[in-house]
Amino acid sequence: MRSCCSSTKFLWNLWLGVALLLCAASVQAAGTPIPHGTLELIAENQSIAAGHELYLGLHFQLEKGWHIYWVNPGDSGEPPRIKWQLPPAITVGEIEWPTPRRLGTPSIVDFGYEDEVTLIVPIHAQASLASQQSAQIGAEVKVLVCREICIPGKAQLSLTLPVESRMAAPDARNSSLFAAARKSLPRPAPRSWKLSVADAGNSLVLTANLGHQVSQAVFFPLAESQIDNAAPQKLLPASAGFRLALRKSDQLRKPIARLKGVLVLSAAQAYIIDVPLGSPGATENTGAEIYAAQFLDEVPLR
Amino acid sequence: MKRSTLYPILIALFLCAALPLILSGKTGGPAPEFTATASNGKTVRLADYRGKYVVLEWHNNGCPYVGKHYKSGNMQKLQKQWTGRGVVWLTILSSAPGEQGYMTANEENDYLAKVQAAPTAALLDPTGQIGHLYDAKTSPQMVVINPQGVVIYDGAIDDKPTTDLEDVPGATNYVNLALEQALAGKQVETPTTRPYGCSVKYADSAH
Repeated sequence: MRSCCSSTKFLWNLWLGVALLLCAASVQAAGTPIPHGTLELIAENQSIAAGHELYLGLHFQLEKGWHIYWVNPGDSGEPPRIKWQLPPAITVGEIEWPTPRRLGTPSIVDFGYEDEVTLIVPIHAQASLASQQSAQIGAEVKVLVCREICIPGKAQLSLTLPVESRMAAPDARNSSLFAAARKSLPRPAPRSWKLSVADAGNSLVLTANLGHQVSQAVFFPLAESQIDNAAPQKLLPASAGFRLALRKSDQLRKPIARLKGVLVLSAAQAYIIDVPLGSPGATENTGAEIYAAQFLDEVPLR
Repeated sequence: MKRSTLYPILIALFLCAALPLILSGKTGGPAPEFTATASNGKTVRLADYRGKYVVLEWHNNGCPYVGKHYKSGNMQKLQKQWTGRGVVWLTILSSAPGEQGYMTANEENDYLAKVQAAPTAALLDPTGQIGHLYDAKTSPQMVVINPQGVVIYDGAIDDKPTTDLEDVPGATNYVNLALEQALAGKQVETPTTRPYGCSVKYADSAH
């Protein structure tokens, strides 16, 4: 009698425990609340192995109309900031930022992400991790979420990864998020491209020889205060590329050495460019100046 | 096109390009004049303060970056410190009606009393006219004008572009630096920075 009841009770407790675990798992999957959205820390693989690299992801899901910021936020706002809490045997790399979008108004332009975005970041496990059974990874994330108004949020996220002798296969639950994140990363510019940047007084002119025509090009500057974010970027298509005039920022007081950023030619074509400021021949320079003046100030030249 | 005809066009183009810079109150250039109604009902003309240093502070009381400086008491401290030394401090509200930070005169007066703010005046700029004149992008963007009416600083309030109150004590305050250097007869070392904060809620704000 007693044994019967206690075993029923045991089973009942077991089921309760399972139910609670499932419940916790579903909450985990939904992510930690942030203002007008949720944030979840995910790993590309189910476990980690000493001597290997693994990608983590911060998956932001935002309510319609709300956004967070790129590494260069543009005219207002700030990018998410992460304070990692890692075991000594794990080191973390840099966030790989997906191509941003232009957000804001005609006079104030920001760079960021709406709806959903995953920021991926590599971590590396040193050999000494092998002595551990699991690795506890924590991240304190400070994030500014904006629509017309901005609300600062903070989330404490954590993830426990078992330590195994070999890298586990990718975690199927997260593979689509990591695939989407990688697809949204800007790629290195093709080696065949010929890019140059000329200082044309009030603007910087990016001249690109890509070997083919383009109908649109938008530049996102990696550094703050180089170009005027809100100024229209004027594109002059050429037979094998284009010229793009970028008005200088009012905060730019010294000549720049390089123009770094992301060049977007279409939704599926975004490239990282890093172009030293050239000293092109006199003819080309004059061309750039006339071009810049003509296009930036809407003054017809002919 | 002949060279002789090209040069006048180039000069004209240069002037066209330079004109917006001269007119838009950039650092090193003349501060654009304006007339505004203060929350206390008085009419304020920038020209009336020629001969004094003037600080412009873009304000939006719902913005967390502005909140950082008011909740910590930093902004009030700066206002008291500098108006105490004869500097004119104008808080400017460029939020359009219906937008965050828009205040009627009475609401603003109540707010100033509640947070014990001490500007010389709080200017109501619901059309965004003064904001656009100075190309103000964020709150709290700060501008410092010298007694000759020249903009000597335009940018962020300090070097910590966050909403964290704990970042206030260790920050380098650019307004203090500009005023102290100018008052000592020195060149302002950092005349412009990226003005961090919330976007100014002009009438063209996206919804």
